[in-house]
Amino acid sequence: MSRKLLLASYRDLRRHQGQALLNLLGIALGVAVMVAVDLANESARRAFTLSLEALTGSATHRIEARSGSLDDAFYRTLRVERGVRPATPVIEGYAVGADRTFRLLGVDPFSDGDFRAPTEGLAEGDLRALLTRPGTVLVSTIDATELDLRPGDRLALEIRGEMLRVEVVGSYAAPRPAALQGTLITDLATAQELLGRLGELDWIDLRLDPAQAEALRARLPDGVRLTTMRADDSAQRRMTDAFHTNLAAMGLLALLVGGLLVYNTTTLAVLRRRRLLGLLRVLGAGRLHLFAMVLGEALMLGAIGTGCGLLLGLAIGQGLVGLVTRTINDLYFVLTVSTLLVTPATLLKGFLVGLAATALAALIPALDAAATQPQQAARRSVLERKIHRVAPRAAFAGAVAVAAGLALVATAVGGLGVAFTALFLVIAGYALAVPWALLLLARPATTLANGLFGTQGRMAVRGVTGGLSRSGVAVAALTVAVAATVGIAIMVQSFRVTVGSWLEQTLTSDIYVTLPGSAADRSRERLPPQLRSELAAIPGVVSTSAGRAGEIQSGLGPLRFLAIEDSEAEPRGFRFLERESQDPWPPFRAGETVLITEALAYHHGLAAGDHLTLQTQRGPRDFRVGGVYADYSTDRGMVLLARPVYAALWKDPGVTTTGLRLAADASYEAVLDTVRALVAATGQPLAVLANADIRAESMAVFDRTFAITGVLRLLAIGVAFIGVLSALLALQLERAGEHATLRALGVTPRQLTGLVSLECGLMGIAAGVLSLPLGWGMAQLLIEVINKRSFGWKAVLLATGSALLAGLYPAWRLARTPPAVALREE
Amino acid sequence: MRVAALVIMLAAVLGGCGEPDRPEPEPSLSDRLGAGDDAGFARALEPRRFAFPADHGPHPDYRNEWWYFTGNLAGADGRRFGYQLTLFRIALIPQAVQRASAWATRDVWMGHLAVSDAARAEHRESERFARGAAGLAGAQTEPLRIWLDDWVIASPDGQTWRLQAAAEDIAVDLELTALRAPTLQGDAGLSRKSAQPGNASYYYSITRLATRGEVRLGADRVGVAGLSWLDREWSTSALAEDQAGWDWFALQFEDGRDVMYYRLRRSDGTTDPMSSGSLLAGDGSRQTLNAAEVALTPLRWWRAEDGTDYPVAWLLALGDGPPLRVEAVFDDQRMDVSVRYWEGMVRVLDAAGAELLGRGYMELAGY
Repeated sequence: MSRKLLLASYRDLRRHQGQALLNLLGIALGVAVMVAVDLANESARRAFTLSLEALTGSATHRIEARSGSLDDAFYRTLRVERGVRPATPVIEGYAVGADRTFRLLGVDPFSDGDFRAPTEGLAEGDLRALLTRPGTVLVSTIDATELDLRPGDRLALEIRGEMLRVEVVGSYAAPRPAALQGTLITDLATAQELLGRLGELDWIDLRLDPAQAEALRARLPDGVRLTTMRADDSAQRRMTDAFHTNLAAMGLLALLVGGLLVYNTTTLAVLRRRRLLGLLRVLGAGRLHLFAMVLGEALMLGAIGTGCGLLLGLAIGQGLVGLVTRTINDLYFVLTVSTLLVTPATLLKGFLVGLAATALAALIPALDAAATQPQQAARRSVLERKIHRVAPRAAFAGAVAVAAGLALVATAVGGLGVAFTALFLVIAGYALAVPWALLLLARPATTLANGLFGTQGRMAVRGVTGGLSRSGVAVAALTVAVAATVGIAIMVQSFRVTVGSWLEQTLTSDIYVTLPGSAADRSRERLPPQLRSELAAIPGVVSTSAGRAGEIQSGLGPLRFLAIEDSEAEPRGFRFLERESQDPWPPFRAGETVLITEALAYHHGLAAGDHLTLQTQRGPRDFRVGGVYADYSTDRGMVLLARPVYAALWKDPGVTTTGLRLAADASYEAVLDTVRALVAATGQPLAVLANADIRAESMAVFDRTFAITGVLRLLAIGVAFIGVLSALLALQLERAGEHATLRALGVTPRQLTGLVSLECGLMGIAAGVLSLPLGWGMAQLLIEVINKRSFGWKAVLLATGSALLAGLYPAWRLARTPPAVALREE
Repeated sequence: MRVAALVIMLAAVLGGCGEPDRPEPEPSLSDRLGAGDDAGFARALEPRRFAFPADHGPHPDYRNEWWYFTGNLAGADGRRFGYQLTLFRIALIPQAVQRASAWATRDVWMGHLAVSDAARAEHRESERFARGAAGLAGAQTEPLRIWLDDWVIASPDGQTWRLQAAAEDIAVDLELTALRAPTLQGDAGLSRKSAQPGNASYYYSITRLATRGEVRLGADRVGVAGLSWLDREWSTSALAEDQAGWDWFALQFEDGRDVMYYRLRRSDGTTDPMSSGSLLAGDGSRQTLNAAEVALTPLRWWRAEDGTDYPVAWLLALGDGPPLRVEAVFDDQRMDVSVRYWEGMVRVLDAAGAELLGRGYMELAGY
């Protein structure tokens, strides 16, 4: 018997190759997206860890200066006078060249070997040249291969806004090659010269036992501190964690959509074969046999699909990892990863999840198949009646699930697992309610369609609701798929809009003069002191503002800060979410309070009126939090200080940015030219940015950051498209007989195409309309988990477009089917 | 005769610093020496006029230079110690390039420190490197000071010296007083290593320095006194193609005689005729020893963990004198540093091994 069943199963698949293929594709895509995101995420995370380890090496402690830059004479004191050892100095900077950002790591090869591997693993080249020739670097073996660099080759780099040429004198092979990819190693002298930081170090790595550390700490000069490596490490790790969470969420979402697709196609395969299943029952096949047949078939398809999905996932992952890395580079940390970290565990996980999803999705249809009554199976009407009866109950169960999910969100504090459970409950509950919603929508839809298309419109609506057993599932799957893409789209779009309007509000000056390069470099340099007054004297400039950005130490660890000063009465462009008093500025100017960003408040549970200790050059000092303001420039959070207060307490009068506001009647171009001329005269490589430039640049960074979500959205749409295509194809193929009858009754192919298109369109619209609240809800949930922002619009068009497009092929195919062939199938 | 230093430094600079060991057989000396470019450096071509204390200071025109202290010391209870403290300078390029950074360097410095404890047959060593820039390592004449990190050799007058060096588990802090004037080795200080002109170094020694101070080995700090030996050498090139290594002896006899002799070993194991040394009588009169006047026969070999055999006991015959037995105080005094060599305390006995005639240091390289 089972052999016959197998044969029946095989024959059916043969006959419906297209559907089997779609089924495979659905599973493959779902698994692929999940695996790809997983791989890219893991690779980036691993590379991040490796980079950190490679940088830290075996160091246990690090000496840094509070100002960010350490006097290099201190290293001599440490080694020669105090005999502290092992210790090695490092200076670090960034350079752009060959379409990538390199980390420029200046090391002392004589002491570096005590901590790190790179200079030991000199693969090829000339340490003598590295030490004695200016402008020489070592590249990693990976970079050397990728960029085809050989000893003697020159590399053009932009460092601090200047174009420089360095000479590659060799390559180094780190024990874990990926770890230091994108890192140029130079002698410390060369790095000081290239980065224009003579006499400076960034830090000194040390290996100390606790007693030694204590002894050393007691004798450190002012402004120099000793940190343990572990704390530093975790601070950097925290930075990227939120981002990885984001990606993990998307990977899971992709799997969810993939799983629904599997469920959808498997269900349709069962429904399509109800007649066959009934016949088999009549012929004596047991329930268990049928159950096993359907489940086995699904699992077989699942295994093949998952296998394909893994391969596809590897390919997509390769592409994604670049995007992930770019986001990390823009936001957190310069990291270069081109190698995908493929672990058996990831693949196994993908395979198991793919199979499990298939099995789970096929379980209900398989049970359904087993429950098939011999006589009933042949009769659709029985099934449809049953579906109509069950729909409200399913909807009720769904409502309960949604309510449970929402309740979870309301009570959940932080737990990501809980948030995802909630998300799943909401989605599953919503999907359960879709068939009933379709029935509810039928009445107004009939009226509307009748008004618009006449009889044909009415027929189309009836066609959809009459075949609820099929259309309900198809629409539900489509709804979830579209909702997922819509949800992500809403989240990103809303975030983008928020950032855009925030930029508009925050950038209150018309022209900015600032230090070039990344924020990482900025903390060490200053604008020429007289520049601001010179700029203020330009005719047409009404007022100026000045800012000093950098990093300071606090009771909460290192914090980014911005010290601002405005020649107008009070700074503009701040949107306060909470504040201590109605006017937070007077205590701020007096140095009693600092203002903090929303992210900082959120991460450290701070609120207006709380206290924050900052490590000043005059010792630790307590500030009140005067207010919390909206800021999207960093997700790590930032402290805002009054510049005169900062200058006095940190003994640092320098500024890193100056903003100019122009009179309404001033010639923008003329002022800009004067500013450029003034800046050129300083001889320092400074950037002059127009307000619009900054906005454009910021939005470009934003878009790059979310490029990965765009790609994921495309992938999800791809999955949804396949879903719609398979659902509609199955539906239309099933109704081929019905359509043939219509053709035989004289309905022209054109009219039939119209009818089918209309049905597809209706389902699409229904899914679109239904996906909108779900998508919005998902966006809210995602935002709740990740960022707390509001929403925008982009939903209906997408769903309808996708459904219509997907409906075109079945419609086209149906229209081309001669009535006789279709009738013969009946 | 400390050509070892040159080899080690070159290996360190060209092969990567701080590399713990190289298991493969060491390349021949000439391979390594050939890697450097001699052009632009001064060379030891003819005898020169030495002036002290100025010549205790650096000679940067030459590529390599070293300050090499070894000594046999004893605690108050008679417990015997040996020590070695060497600071090597090697120039990477003949002329320093004008550069903005104070860290830009022309010289690489390497330091070796070792302490031997005869009672426990324990030998520990330490090695470090630094650039000759940013004050991290260097040599100056006024006042005389040679340093690498906190390892310091200093002398206010060329007569008394202070050596201070500490590593993780060993340290020396010693005050030395020269008992003899500097001895110019070879031909009035020009020490030829091969027949080829320029393959030579300037080489002088202070063969006897009264020493007292403290050595540390592990947790033990021991007050010590004894005799040290200083070797000073600077050059730009050294060995010829067919020379494989050397056996070097610095021996201080109880009767006041001091002997230095280096035997250059050819690749085929025979003694190179350029091998040379000197014998200082108790009154300070010097007699040159050439290869024909010295007979060296290995008596016993010691096999190191990596399988390398070192001749740790010798029969030494100087001219017409009676044969002497020179043997390691204990066998394992190998320097496991960038390039391995054996350097340790020896005693001098009569041929029968019955009577102690003197003490000294021996270096076995190229094995």
